[in-house]
Amino acid sequence: MTDNSLTHDISAARNGPARRYTTWIPTVVNSALYRSTLGVLVASPRSRFILLASVPLIWMIMLHVGPIYQMAKISFLSSYPIQQGRDVSYTLANYALYFTPLIRSFIYAAGATFVTLIIVYPVAYYVAKVVRPQKRSKALLLLLVPFWAGELIRTFSIIMLLANRGAVNYLLREIGWIDRPIPVLYTWFSLGFGLVYLVSLYMLLPLYSAIDKIPNHLLDAASDLGAGPWTRFRRIVLPLSRDGVVSGCSLVFLTCIGVFATPMLLGGPTTVLFPETISGFFHGASDKWPVGAAFSIIMLVTALTTAGIFMRIVGGKATRLM
Amino acid sequence: MRALFSDPSRTALNMAYWGFVLYLLVPLTLMMAMSFKDANFVAFPISDWTLDWYAKVMQDRQFLEACIYSIFIAVATTFAATVIGVWIAMLIASTGGRWSALLFALACLPAVVPGMISAISLRIFISTVNMPTGTTAIILGHTVHAVPFVVVMALTRLRSMPPNLVDAARDLGADSIVAFFRVTLPYLGPAILGGMIFCVLLSIDDFVRTFFLGGYRPTLPMLIFAKVQGGMSPEINAMATLVLVVTAAVGLYAEYFTRRTRSR
Amino acid sequence: MQPVVQFENVTKAYGDAVAVDDLNLSIESGKFVTLLGPSGCGKSTTLRMLGGFEIPNSGRVLLAGEDVTRLPPNRRNVNIVFQDYALFPHMNVARNIAFGLELKGLSSAVIDKRVNELLALVQLEEYAARMPFELSGGQRQRVALMRALAPDPQVLLLDEPLSALDAKLRQQMQVELKAIQERTGKTFLFVTHDQEEALTMSDLIVVMNKGRIEQMGDPHTLYTRPESEFVANFIGEANLLSATFVDSDAGGSRLSWKGRHVEAAAPAHKAKKGDSVLIVVRPEALHFSAKGKDKDAIPGKVRHRIFKGNHTSVSVDVGDGVSMNALVHARDVDALADDVWLSWRPEDATVIRNQAPAA
Repeated sequence: MTDNSLTHDISAARNGPARRYTTWIPTVVNSALYRSTLGVLVASPRSRFILLASVPLIWMIMLHVGPIYQMAKISFLSSYPIQQGRDVSYTLANYALYFTPLIRSFIYAAGATFVTLIIVYPVAYYVAKVVRPQKRSKALLLLLVPFWAGELIRTFSIIMLLANRGAVNYLLREIGWIDRPIPVLYTWFSLGFGLVYLVSLYMLLPLYSAIDKIPNHLLDAASDLGAGPWTRFRRIVLPLSRDGVVSGCSLVFLTCIGVFATPMLLGGPTTVLFPETISGFFHGASDKWPVGAAFSIIMLVTALTTAGIFMRIVGGKATRLM
Repeated sequence: MRALFSDPSRTALNMAYWGFVLYLLVPLTLMMAMSFKDANFVAFPISDWTLDWYAKVMQDRQFLEACIYSIFIAVATTFAATVIGVWIAMLIASTGGRWSALLFALACLPAVVPGMISAISLRIFISTVNMPTGTTAIILGHTVHAVPFVVVMALTRLRSMPPNLVDAARDLGADSIVAFFRVTLPYLGPAILGGMIFCVLLSIDDFVRTFFLGGYRPTLPMLIFAKVQGGMSPEINAMATLVLVVTAAVGLYAEYFTRRTRSR
Repeated sequence: MQPVVQFENVTKAYGDAVAVDDLNLSIESGKFVTLLGPSGCGKSTTLRMLGGFEIPNSGRVLLAGEDVTRLPPNRRNVNIVFQDYALFPHMNVARNIAFGLELKGLSSAVIDKRVNELLALVQLEEYAARMPFELSGGQRQRVALMRALAPDPQVLLLDEPLSALDAKLRQQMQVELKAIQERTGKTFLFVTHDQEEALTMSDLIVVMNKGRIEQMGDPHTLYTRPESEFVANFIGEANLLSATFVDSDAGGSRLSWKGRHVEAAAPAHKAKKGDSVLIVVRPEALHFSAKGKDKDAIPGKVRHRIFKGNHTSVSVDVGDGVSMNALVHARDVDALADDVWLSWRPEDATVIRNQAPAA
């Protein structure tokens, strides 16, 4: 080691047994096995980069882009899976729009998004601005608890609430407001109710985060200059929370468009949304796959475009989702 | 700050908050309550209470198998998604500017695509590579879904790491791999742990992907779904309550844990 | 004795911006060498090239005769102390210091002994089990230093390690660093933009500007005999007079400034009669003469007096828009009239080339 180390007696000054150190690393690193495999890989900056980039890039291209690409490819085929003795041709016929369910899905999703925004905004504001900072985590936690239960269970619990023999109907009958149960389940209302129930968190977190970032002294200054609560909200809080509104709405919209279990459980024969239509193509005769694929592509493109346009218009040029 | 609101607005907001809390918790509470009903059908009021349904569920072979199956898939998913997610985050963190933004968008793609479409595209994908539906497909689907979340968590943490840390390790004699395992990975620790818990919960709760990619063996959500289609019964409530309690507890702990380490 | 570090024609450029321009530098073993210069002068880049964090575009870097130009940092026998210390947050003090040692294949007992030695060197024995976030800035700095010294590198690189400390602590650490360098006998290569720091600690100062070496030498020489306007201004405060060279001999030189005859030390460069040169006089070298006593004294008017604590800085207008700063002891400043005569001892004035002579 060093040739001019100190000579005074260290061990006397220390107490306790010698510490254990991680000494096995050099033995591994210098072993032939390591040197010939990993050692070679990390030797040059170039090979290091290849090591770093290879797996992620392959994964993302294959499994993030790949499935969508395959889906697009199939959507142009006349039949799939490809069977012996049958002509396979590329066609646009699959894209003949099944218009109504698609539009219905969009409008419904937009409506649900709007309703969620209205319901959740005050709550987000409350937690971000009115609750004292120490209590804020607890307040948030209380709201987050249900969300760990999962899509299916939470949808299921709505049934308990809205069924003919569920809590709401029971309560109303006991009070005497109605004689016979109101069939709320399997309607647009129950579907919407369940949907909002499901997606509120995706709206809450971005909103909360955005409102939280608004410095309190801005509101203090406004109040100081004579603005009342509603004015403060309209002219300061609302504009400054725009990013959160945009993120939240985009997230919620995209989720609503693609929701699957909820319509199946809470919707009924009259509330067919696009996902269900698409699903029909896959669980029936396999010939219909290309059609299902085409519809999925349409849905994907329109959903993302809508979200994108929304983000641009409302959010302005510098909006980012994260 | 307290002078910010005159009483009416504050009370209104307060009511909005608690109203929302009720809205969130009441259905779940009702569902849990129904699991104790001593009758074969699901209806209010609950006059007699019993634990029989829980006993039945605990002994239900199908339920136990579905539990194990779900857990197995969740563990496999967590492992795969964590490795891939951290790897992707490392790549993104090492690039800058436009590449980094592009890669990040690419990494987040599965999270932005509506769930249904993601599931279908994966179904088509496995068909094109001649992979059968079943366990492997499910794990693949869950992993693809979970990766963006791991990437975001790991990337956030990575970006807060002092840049000289890895340089210091290399300066002291570590090659890139040793530096990663001895410095970067420990630093990522809390984010990875949070990510893993998140993966587990995402996987156990997942329905739509499992629906399209699964074979004959049901996971917990699939089992509950099938039973619901077969007719309502407090037994289903008991199952759902069990799953709810466990996942909520794990989720709460994860939240508590990440909030605690974030303050460090 | 072979120099421990050699830079041979090293150039480093980032696109069009040249950070280091054809650098040639030799450093002897056991010395405290400082790279001094303003930001962007290339000193940090030079340091990092020695550490292995930058690869030169051309030229060679040699460590004890061995060409290490393209070697990665983990294969070089140099260690660096970073400006932000870069202590591993998940390891305690002892493990931080032991990091480099663990990678060398030493046994736990040997590592432990060395860690204890180093901790004792900076009086941090009690802190071995503490975590970095529990330490103060000065303590972290010392741990970073010991961590870098642990693997016994041939050269220790320090990249502005004291800039994050407050003034008092900084001065304390300067003394400590110098003491540690002397005790361990290691070659320290220190980078800073603070000329006072450089003067305090260094055996050798390398002044850099725009990627090139302006001047190299021990602190005293650099201060008293700068060779360029840049160095004169960068190190300490300088009064510059634009004068014409007359002649010189071993004893000194004579020059003409605004028709007056002034004297200075002999110039380091070859000057011929009529050359335009600059005379450098440090503020503390200026005397105030009584009226008429010294026929060579320069008359001037006092414009400002600025109290600086242990002295007062007096600004004197000597005509033609030129003003000179002098230092006056606080007790003498009241006796100073508005009209003064300035003079200096010839050996206290340095003659340097005038790179930008006025028309």
